[in-house]
Amino acid sequence: MTAEALDPLIHVPARLQIMAALATLPDGDQLSFKRLQDMIELTPGNLITHLRKLEEAGYLTTSKTGSGPASRTSVALTHDGRHALEIYATTLRGLLNGVSAVPAASGSHLDRHGAEL
Amino acid sequence: MTTHIGPSSGTPDESRMEPREAARLLAQTQADARRSLDFRAPWVSLVAAVVALAGFGIVWLNVRNQHPFTGPSPGSLVFFYGLIALRIATVIYAYARARTGISGHSVKVQRNEAAAMGAALLVWYVLLIAIATSAHHSAAFYWSLGLNGTLIVLAAIWAGRSAIHNSWQQVALAVAVALIAALGAIAGPRGMWLVNGVGLCVLLLATAGIGTSRRRGTRTHTVRTGA
Repeated sequence: MTAEALDPLIHVPARLQIMAALATLPDGDQLSFKRLQDMIELTPGNLITHLRKLEEAGYLTTSKTGSGPASRTSVALTHDGRHALEIYATTLRGLLNGVSAVPAASGSHLDRHGAEL
Repeated sequence: MTTHIGPSSGTPDESRMEPREAARLLAQTQADARRSLDFRAPWVSLVAAVVALAGFGIVWLNVRNQHPFTGPSPGSLVFFYGLIALRIATVIYAYARARTGISGHSVKVQRNEAAAMGAALLVWYVLLIAIATSAHHSAAFYWSLGLNGTLIVLAAIWAGRSAIHNSWQQVALAVAVALIAALGAIAGPRGMWLVNGVGLCVLLLATAGIGTSRRRGTRTHTVRTGA
């Protein structure tokens, strides 16, 4: 198995961070755009572009409440998005287990996170 | 903040990663996100430990030589309740900071849980007033029931809530609080302040210590993954 097996849409630093951060929320919860931006430290323009890509793939949904300066955009992972991240983590684990140079602790750490996703 | 998620004209930072780098980033991001979203930070437990030791300790110093027991002085009670107010304020601050920007199902559930806890406490205090007005009891009885009883009721509610959420570490913490309060009841009206103060302080320090070592452990693991 090679790195090509990893979902190319998720296998980009910024988008992996977005997906990973949103996956820590319980199912049915949303995160505001501002809070997500603070958590992964991306510029608004960058974040919007990556969110748009993930939304087009059906991995997340965005919703806007209110209007004018008081409006708020919230982001949530969809079931498809959560499933895609699970598959990504499983594939990544498989890749790492195939690389003998990776310390054993790495695999167990990923297992723990993969199991929670 | 107004944000429009419109069509993209190109995606910046499309650089790919090595699998090991991706694993490190995934683990690091999730660890950071969990830390950021969890209001039960070690410093909150540390403040609670100091509050428990100082609050119960000052009342114990006030009542330890009372024979017969008549109850804490108004001055020590002002100090005690002031520290409890400080504890409540730190929890509200930590909670508000951790939950900023989150909406959805879990927020509604937490509001309902808070309302249920408030209602249960209200019922408990109505029961205490009913006991106090129905017959004459000693100050020792009222203070023991008021302090240890309230701690046991709070612990029981928290244990029930945590069991529903499969949060067994919190269940163990709640059971430990109830056991400390039960030991306090056995210690009597003077000793209960010392038992509860020292017991809760040790328990909260242990909680803060476990929380800190877990956070450090996650960080070390993450660094190793990316090494």
